[in-house]
Amino acid sequence: MKDKIVYFPKRKQRPVKPIEPRDDGDDSNTPKRPNVNRPNTNELLKRMRRVDKDQSRRYRQRTGE
Amino acid sequence: MHRLFGIETEYGITLENTEQIDTVQESIELIKSYQREPFLPRWDYKGEDPFRDERGFRAKHLNNHPDEVEEEKKDKERFATQPDRSFREIKSDRILINGARLYNDHAHPEYSTPECQSLFDLVAHDKAGERILRECAERRSQKLGQRVILYKNNTDFYGHSYGCHDNYLMDRDVPFDYLKTSILPFFITRQIFAGAGKIGIETEAGLATPGHFQLTQRSDFFHVEASVDTMHKRPIVNTRDEPHADPAKYRRLHGIVGDANMSEYATALKVGTTALVIDLIEQRLIPDTCAIANPIDTIRLISHDQTYHWMIQKVDGKMISAIDHQREFLEIAQKYLAHQNSETDWVLTQWEQTLDALENEPMELTDRIDWVAKKWLLETFVESQEIEWDAPWLQSIDLEYHNINVEEGLFYGLPMQRVVTDEQIHAAMHTPPSDTRAYFRGKSLNKFEEAVRTVQWDSISFDIKGRTVTVNMNSLADPEIAQKYNEALDLSPNPQTLVEKLGLL
Repeated sequence: MKDKIVYFPKRKQRPVKPIEPRDDGDDSNTPKRPNVNRPNTNELLKRMRRVDKDQSRRYRQRTGE
Repeated sequence: MHRLFGIETEYGITLENTEQIDTVQESIELIKSYQREPFLPRWDYKGEDPFRDERGFRAKHLNNHPDEVEEEKKDKERFATQPDRSFREIKSDRILINGARLYNDHAHPEYSTPECQSLFDLVAHDKAGERILRECAERRSQKLGQRVILYKNNTDFYGHSYGCHDNYLMDRDVPFDYLKTSILPFFITRQIFAGAGKIGIETEAGLATPGHFQLTQRSDFFHVEASVDTMHKRPIVNTRDEPHADPAKYRRLHGIVGDANMSEYATALKVGTTALVIDLIEQRLIPDTCAIANPIDTIRLISHDQTYHWMIQKVDGKMISAIDHQREFLEIAQKYLAHQNSETDWVLTQWEQTLDALENEPMELTDRIDWVAKKWLLETFVESQEIEWDAPWLQSIDLEYHNINVEEGLFYGLPMQRVVTDEQIHAAMHTPPSDTRAYFRGKSLNKFEEAVRTVQWDSISFDIKGRTVTVNMNSLADPEIAQKYNEALDLSPNPQTLVEKLGLL
């Protein structure tokens, strides 16, 4: 198969934040949104191609909760 | 947030290039690979009763998958030849210094997070569980000379499902019927952002329709609205009555309908939105107009819908989308819960943005929502390899999305949004949340390990000069009381001083 370069979909910016967080001086628990890189998916495709085609056929579990 | 919650995850286990494995044996050996200390059977099973029903009775029996008849025969044969194997050794329960429980649940390694009351603490502890199990798998692989592979998923594609349960402590005052009618419709439509995605439609008898991509791993396995069962004929609302806290004051909502999420963001949104809906339920703010006409059919229809319009019928006959149904809950939450704390506001903001994205362009959520990320991976692979959607290889791709090995797992090849840092996750492997009773459990083990005799979610017993003294942690569901106990523990140089400070000697 010929490799194709496929990019992670673009994320649209959403300008409006519906609720402003309360300024309680303690934002230590609020996660910061990291930058999302747009990877060249060749590495991902390599990872996927390494997946054993028979893995799910062999995979048997017992029922759990 | 101001509520105790936690997540229990049963992992799938297999060995590389092996057709059949003994999942019970491998699960036991995996747990034993947690080697911080020698295995001591400390978990106290006396308080557990999965037959007890929220509706005020005790069930006579629990349903089980038909395949388990044969499997249980094998269990009996296996353990008949190993008479030294006690029940406790089979369960292999470990209580960890971070307050978590790690054990063999039936045939799956299970990690139960410590009780948290911060959403992002919980996400960190859920991910810490993955890392702890990954370390166990590495040790076991070295010993075995064969790689152990663990999947944080919910199906083997042959009709056998295993759970990821999200648990919430809540007021006992809420009548169970009101809780059921309010949370059931929310659970049904929550899957549009909480689902982990699956290729194929299953029944308990096995794979029924290969190649059909659906939103969830678990929705195929729910057949009744409410019951105490968890293994077969599963209910959307589980009625198990085990609060692990003062039963006069609390219920535990044992949410069994969800998928195991790989995405930190999806875990936070799933638990955060559910916690807010429980806040609304406690204030009796969910109207009966949120109810859905045919819950069992609808949970599957939404998951299977390829149009992503997700139209549902409400009890009044009105047709709306699952997105608008979620907006009904969101609008009530925005009205009554906004600006209470930064975590609540984070959930409200992300909930709204996620619903907007699902309506406008679901693929915008590829870096946040598991089913979208998995669909994008599968689409990319189908296009690249020029294969059909019912190719068995895709089912293996689906499975490998959930492989918790960061070098191989497909999830870990994606640039997903994070809500916690690696440092927070690393700390959670060894440190309990500081503001709940999990601190008392984890720190007691860390500080007075030799003296700890038994542990349950709501109690811990110490040996004090040959006498067993039990600290009842029932009341520690109250954060103020937990804080006092935790401070007493910090100030005590030995267990005797601790129990004296608590007025138990």
